[in-house]
Amino acid sequence: MRSLKMLIRTWRGGDLGLILWSLVLAVAVVTSVSLLAERIDRALTKESSSFLAADLVVRSSKEAPLSWLREAENKGVNTAKMMSFPSIVFYGDDLHLASIKAVQASYPLRGSLKRSKIAFTRDESLIESVAYGPSKGEVWVDSRLLPLLNVDLGDEIELGDASLKITYILVEEPDGSSYSFIGARVLMNYADIPASGVIQPGSRVTYRYLMAADKQDNLDSYKSWLEPQLDVHDRLITPDQAQASISDTLDKGRRFLLLAGSIGVVLAGIALALASHHFASGQTKQVALLKSWGISANRVRALYLQQSLWLGFIGSIFGLLVGFIFHYFLLMIVQEWLPISLPLAGARPWIIGFTTGLVCLAGFTLPALWHLPAQSPLAVLRHEVITQPLSAAVRLLLGVGAIAGLLLWYSNNFVVSVAILSGFAISSITSVLIGLILLRLGMQYGRHMGSIWRLALTNLWRRRSQSLIQMIGFSGAIALLMIMVVVRTSLIDQWRFQLAEDAPNHFLLNVAPYELESVRSLVEDNNLDTAGWYAMVRGRMIAINGEPISDAQKDSHESFRRELNLSWTSDLPEGNKVAQGEWWDGIDLNKFADSESPLAPVSIEDDLAGELGLIMGDRIIFSVGGLTFEAEMVGTRSLNWDNMTPNFYFLFPEGLLEKYPRTSMTSLYIPPDKKLLVNDILQNYPTVQVIELDKIIKKIRTIVSQVTRGLEVMTLLILGCGILVMFAAVSLSMSERLQESAILRTLGSSRRLILGIQLIEFTTLGAMAGILASMGAEFSVAMLQRFIFDLPFSLHLWLWYTGPVLGGILVGALGVGYSRKAVALPPLELLRRL
Amino acid sequence: MIEVKNIYKQVNTAEGVLRILEDINLSVARSETLAIVGPSGSGKSTLLGILAGLDVPSTGSVSLDGHEITAMDEEGRAIVRAKTVGFVFQSFYLLPGLTALENVALPLELNGDDDALKTAAHYLERVGLNSRTTHYPRQLSGGEQQRVAVARAFACKPIILFADEPTGNLDTGTGEIINNLLFDLNNEEGTTLVLVTHEMNLAERCDRTMVLQLGCQVKDSSNTDLVSS
Repeated sequence: MRSLKMLIRTWRGGDLGLILWSLVLAVAVVTSVSLLAERIDRALTKESSSFLAADLVVRSSKEAPLSWLREAENKGVNTAKMMSFPSIVFYGDDLHLASIKAVQASYPLRGSLKRSKIAFTRDESLIESVAYGPSKGEVWVDSRLLPLLNVDLGDEIELGDASLKITYILVEEPDGSSYSFIGARVLMNYADIPASGVIQPGSRVTYRYLMAADKQDNLDSYKSWLEPQLDVHDRLITPDQAQASISDTLDKGRRFLLLAGSIGVVLAGIALALASHHFASGQTKQVALLKSWGISANRVRALYLQQSLWLGFIGSIFGLLVGFIFHYFLLMIVQEWLPISLPLAGARPWIIGFTTGLVCLAGFTLPALWHLPAQSPLAVLRHEVITQPLSAAVRLLLGVGAIAGLLLWYSNNFVVSVAILSGFAISSITSVLIGLILLRLGMQYGRHMGSIWRLALTNLWRRRSQSLIQMIGFSGAIALLMIMVVVRTSLIDQWRFQLAEDAPNHFLLNVAPYELESVRSLVEDNNLDTAGWYAMVRGRMIAINGEPISDAQKDSHESFRRELNLSWTSDLPEGNKVAQGEWWDGIDLNKFADSESPLAPVSIEDDLAGELGLIMGDRIIFSVGGLTFEAEMVGTRSLNWDNMTPNFYFLFPEGLLEKYPRTSMTSLYIPPDKKLLVNDILQNYPTVQVIELDKIIKKIRTIVSQVTRGLEVMTLLILGCGILVMFAAVSLSMSERLQESAILRTLGSSRRLILGIQLIEFTTLGAMAGILASMGAEFSVAMLQRFIFDLPFSLHLWLWYTGPVLGGILVGALGVGYSRKAVALPPLELLRRL
Repeated sequence: MIEVKNIYKQVNTAEGVLRILEDINLSVARSETLAIVGPSGSGKSTLLGILAGLDVPSTGSVSLDGHEITAMDEEGRAIVRAKTVGFVFQSFYLLPGLTALENVALPLELNGDDDALKTAAHYLERVGLNSRTTHYPRQLSGGEQQRVAVARAFACKPIILFADEPTGNLDTGTGEIINNLLFDLNNEEGTTLVLVTHEMNLAERCDRTMVLQLGCQVKDSSNTDLVSS
């Protein structure tokens, strides 16, 4: 406890404040980010679960075996079975190929179903949310089934041998957002399936086995048990996979929070290193004194180590507390954007926060104090006998090592860590080289200027080591702040662009050639823009390179089993990028037409080509309604799934597929006030399918706005870290500056002159640091945008003038504020205090 | 008490070898007071540092209270210093975060003395600062700060007290008070006192005075001889 007592006494001496605050801030930033990220992550995972109607789903071509259900019960996991298949439903003489979905009573396990008594209603007050499906003998149906079959609520429709009563209009299913190319939805009870007799051996049925548990451990344990039981027919689907677009948005948000946290730690680390260096300089005399009393070097080391550990412990605990309060504050701010209740975080954020404190201490404070025990006691008599600290290179290495370790731990991403560190390293090295040139130039030009300028600029050059350290600190802080702002702005811009107000929110599918013109006119008459009309034919792969598709291939991927949408276009669709090979303009299309047996060039989606094991030059035989043609894979494309425009896995040039039976599709934005157009289309063109994405987009927008708000608040937190770095850097040279100011005042210099010198020194230093920061920030942002956030590179001109101006103003104001003591106190009093 | 034989101290500089002390021989008895005087740069502080075991000579030997410290490493010298030596410095060296009482108690506490605060309070009273125990150094005048430093030095009950220009930062009146305190406490505690000073009136109060010039011992005599010479 003696070391704690000593720590408290040292604290009273006033030099520990900056170290403690840096430590507290490092821990607080990381803790608040981790707590926020984990809680929102858990909540959104839960939210995403509602897209699946479960926490986990197995999609299969066969029913889940009884053993799975028994084990689920044993492990406390709730389950529900579901099957979907196309089947004809009848009412009198009318019939429709409907999309049947049969669910057990426990469906949905997550989220809710929305139903109404009124067809085509958009009025929320007429829509009811329920957590169960239809009872036995009942069906809930899509509004559009009513005009298709000329039925009303209360009528009974026939499905196979069963008569099922329509009791509700099905407005929304939690897991109903996936595209379906078949008819109107009919939701029925699983128990009615046997009586209907529609499921026979060989029927095309997709089974879904839904799982959810209140305790994550139970689910994890069951998942571990289940995975080995799965075979090629089964596919395990997680909430993340269920909604790739939201998942991608969340992932970027998560990465940004992580980047923000990392930048916070780097900034706090810089502040900690500077403050520790300053503290250690002030401790050399004390150590000499202790050693003159006969305290051994080992004892001194132990004393400082124990004090440091206490400091680390107290700082970390305090940081955890501040982090918790801050995360709570963040949550309060974003609460109105959070429609979901947040689950509590686990232990991980606390462990991350606490460890950060100790690692920062070990990486930044201990190296600065390392040389103290070796301090000669002779320094009590001879002031010049000062033991040199660990070399700057070693301290830098230890600091960078600590940060690198933390970054890797937080991100689990080598590229992110390297990008941040390389930005930091390049900024530092450039700062030293260019900083020296700037200081030298400043000194030379200063000679030809007024006395204040000459004194100030000469001072900067005379103290060039300190000036460079400060410049690195300032430029690091300014650069990191600018990186934060740029990346945040780019991300938000990208999200806003993806989810622009007029982003397509409806898909029109299955438009027959004879309906195309009139549907097109209807859309145009309503002044709505489409993402373009795409024709498509339905075809099946039957052979690759002359070998028929084997059963093993069919088991390995559903694309080998089902009909695919094949489309054609002359231009590369927006959002598509050629991944391998060439687009049509890069190949000789005539070569294909002129070959002995005509070939069709085909461009395939890059991931799918990989999954199907297709390589460039492979020849695929497609069957379209019994007619076959051969195609050669000439390229692959990566697609942008976020922009809500039609995407096709298989694209052909124009003029090859037009002879086959085809339908058309498009996506378009339908504003809320024109929503009734959907009814017009459905009623006038019963075969046309409309996929309504407006609700999903609304959901994505909500999530994006939450994340955006969080990012803005995080930027403020990082600003706090940056200011702390500036304080630490300014305080580094302050005692020397105050001493010089006191001497100048005793020699008769005016307060104006002294403050003027400080103002010019700090403003110049800040502006120089700003120039360097702009360079470092532009480079780092380019790296981050290119490799991490997958954003296009762009030059940020505003950085180049904001950096120097911001640096000059901030550092100048801070320096002058700090220096006021130099003119506020009588010179003798000042000298005595120093 | 202090035995010094043939001490030389030289350092390597860019200009070549610089001799700071040359063939110093000295013997100081228990309770004796010795003043080391000489012009600036004569090697006074270097000699004090070597005598106190803060520094080592290039050659020669120093024995403190029977311990030959020149044959020891820094750890060994630290043990001897802890048992034997006390210091008063020109610039006080009080720790800013500690009150006057805590400053005096600190070396005792570090040596595991359970009664450190009681002892410290006693010595602060002895130097006339019993009303200033809770004051921080910045709240004390220069003279008061040096009195705290004197109390700190004597509180450890050193056998030998080394003082480096103890009144160098103080005005004459305050310096006189400190001098009186040093000699009074020295008498009371029976401490050997070795001090470096520029002030002849302070040197005259010592039993002996040693004069250094350019690192050489030009005179070592009792003060009666010095005064008469």
